[in-house]
Order: sequence, then structure tokens, then C-alpha cells
Amino acid sequence: MAMIVVVTEAVPPRLRGRLAVWLLEIRAGVYVGDVSKRIREMIWEQVHALAEDGNVAMAWASNHESGFEFQTYGANRREPWDHDGLRLVRFLPIEAK
Amino acid sequence: MSFIPLKPIPIKDRMSMIFVGMGQIDVRDGAFVVIDEVNGERMHIPVGSVACLLLEPGTRVSHAAVKLASVVGTLLIWVGDAGVRLYSAGQPGGARSDKLLYQAQLALDDSLRLKVVRKMFELRFGEAPPSRRSVEQLRGIEGARVRKTYQVLAKQYGLKWQGRRYDPKQWDASDVANQCLSAATACLYGITEAAILAAGYAPAIGFLHTGKPLSFVYDIADIVKFETVVPAAFRIAARNPPMPEREVRIACRDAFKQTRLLQRIIPMIEEVLAAGEIEPPLPPADAVPPAIPEPTSLGDSGHRSQ
Repeated sequence: MAMIVVVTEAVPPRLRGRLAVWLLEIRAGVYVGDVSKRIREMIWEQVHALAEDGNVAMAWASNHESGFEFQTYGANRREPWDHDGLRLVRFLPIEAK
Repeated sequence: MSFIPLKPIPIKDRMSMIFVGMGQIDVRDGAFVVIDEVNGERMHIPVGSVACLLLEPGTRVSHAAVKLASVVGTLLIWVGDAGVRLYSAGQPGGARSDKLLYQAQLALDDSLRLKVVRKMFELRFGEAPPSRRSVEQLRGIEGARVRKTYQVLAKQYGLKWQGRRYDPKQWDASDVANQCLSAATACLYGITEAAILAAGYAPAIGFLHTGKPLSFVYDIADIVKFETVVPAAFRIAARNPPMPEREVRIACRDAFKQTRLLQRIIPMIEEVLAAGEIEPPLPPADAVPPAIPEPTSLGDSGHRSQ
């Protein structure tokens, strides 16, 4: 069991409702919970199937060097960037969006 | 647009319980919500992440909400004011005929039943019961030990204790300690029933307890009652707070968390039944297998998944 955070942007209400079946929506589009790896993967499948043109980021606590890992779905100005094995985020210029 | 089915998650990955009083329970955008029509508030309930929902008087549940609870394998329990249970549904039991037959076989055969009861005794008191005793004799020993345990715990928390006395019809008639105990056992019975159903067994087929819809629930709950809810109830009763029920529920939730009860409870049920040393029956050779195989599920074996 590890804590997870899911942040959604411009996703259909169906996905938002679906996420609320297991997680708590603490702010608009921001979901938190404490789930096992299998459940996290199941939730990610739901994101893939239901997010359509929206974009989603999911972060979870792990014993990774940074203490957490994350993955993203869909296009966003913020992009994950592998920096010598450490995953950071880089920003695309605003007009590129 | 694609369709992705909802499935239950295992009991061990869930929170214990959520009580809901007042409000209209419905589904909005596929999520389980409680709407307070007076104040206009809406509350999301992560229904798939709890073992059971206890609905108090003053709630109304829509058909869609019951369906959602059932799909994600969450037990809905309608409780009365005092946590006295009225009715329950939402997670239908009896999903596994092999497990039901196994449980019934253990309960029907006197020597197997005695083995199961001895295992319950052993798990509960941490030592094997004296040998060559009947179920009736074991029940006597158990009763004496339980009375003693209540006294010791009451003394430890500085409570006046005159025995476990309560009248289900008159909640306020019993003393604070008994009221707290009733509220606490209601919580324990709720998650125990959810676990028994999730594991595919029947709540009514008991070994020490018989003849009640929840006989097996009482059997299993009794194993852990004195390490979880009884100390919690007595601790709250000793403080004599203005809203004992609420405090008791919080204390029970903590006790379940600390003792990792939801992780332990299904393995414990299996362990108790395994003491009979028989295998679950195989399907008869001439039985017709399901035409459409069951889909794989993340949930427990007794969860009905789609």
C-alpha cells in the first residue's frame, strides 16, 4: 500500500466519477488515496480508457531515490524528463502547447 | 469512447467502514455521492475503497447507488439508531457454491464441527482448549473466560461493570459501557460480514453460534473482539463523552488499523475452516461447467464481478 495522487485536466466527467469510486477528490481534479500496486495499475487502466483528450498525471510513494514515481497520460506543457536516472519535469514553451 | 468495467478490489486493500446518516445517496458521474438537500452539500464516498457502508436512519438510497455498491463489492448495511441492524443487502452472498458446501459440510459433521470450534478457541485465547471436550463444554469455558475478560478490562479502564446487559429495543436503558460496547460490536460485525461474503462463505452457517442470520459473523468476530473493539469501547466509556457512539467508531477504526484486521480477517476465516482438515468439494463429474468462463477479478473470491 502506498499513497497515490492523481491530477486530471480536461477529462470527461465519467473518468472523474470513476476515480472517486476509490479515491478522494480533495480539489477539482486532484485525487488522493492509499492503494496497492495492483489497484494503482487498475486505476491507471481506467485513466487510459476514459481520459480521451484530457491529460492525467499519477504520482505514488515508492522506495525510489526521490521517494515517489509518477507517470502521465495525454499532452501537457509539463513533460517528464529523465535527468541522469532521476525523473524531473521540463516545461515546454507556452506557444508550443 | 471506450467501456471499461468496474471491479471490486480485495478487502485487505480497503478502509474498514463509513457511517452515513441523513441525506440522499445517489450516483453522479459514476461516483457514489451523498446529497444533503437541506444544505445543498454533496459528499463523495470512495465506495470501492471501504469494506462496508453503514447507513443510519435518515438516509435514502437510489437504485443506481445500490448497483454501484454491489459492482464494487461493498456491503451496504442498514443500521438502526443504536447500530442495531435492521437489514442489509448490496453485496449478495453465496457467490461460491464450493465454499458454501465446504462450510456446510464442516458444520454438519459433529467431529469436524468440534475441530473448527477448537481452532476458534485456540485463536481467540492463544492456547489450545483442554482436550476431549464437547462443543457445549467449550462454550461453557469460553463464557467464563469472557466474563472474566470483561471484568479485567473494565477494572483496567476504571469502569463499573455489572455484566454485558443490553436491550436491543431500549438503547438508552443500558449503562454507558454497554452502549459503547453495542456500538463497537456493530462496527466489528459489519466488516466481519463483508469479509465473510467477500470470501464466498455464508454468514448464517455458524459453528458456536447457530440459528441466526449472522451466526458465522458472531463466531468470527468473537475471535478478535477482545483485542479490538472491547478495549476501544471501554476506553471511550471511561471518558464518558457526550457523543459516545461517534467516539467509539473513531476508536474502532483505529483499533482495526492497528491490528491490521482487514488484512488478517479472510486468512483467519480460511484458517478456522481449514482446521476441519477436509478439502472443499470438487464439482461432481457429471456437472456442467459454466458456458461463459468467469472473468478474472482483482477482488476476493466471493466477489461477484461482471
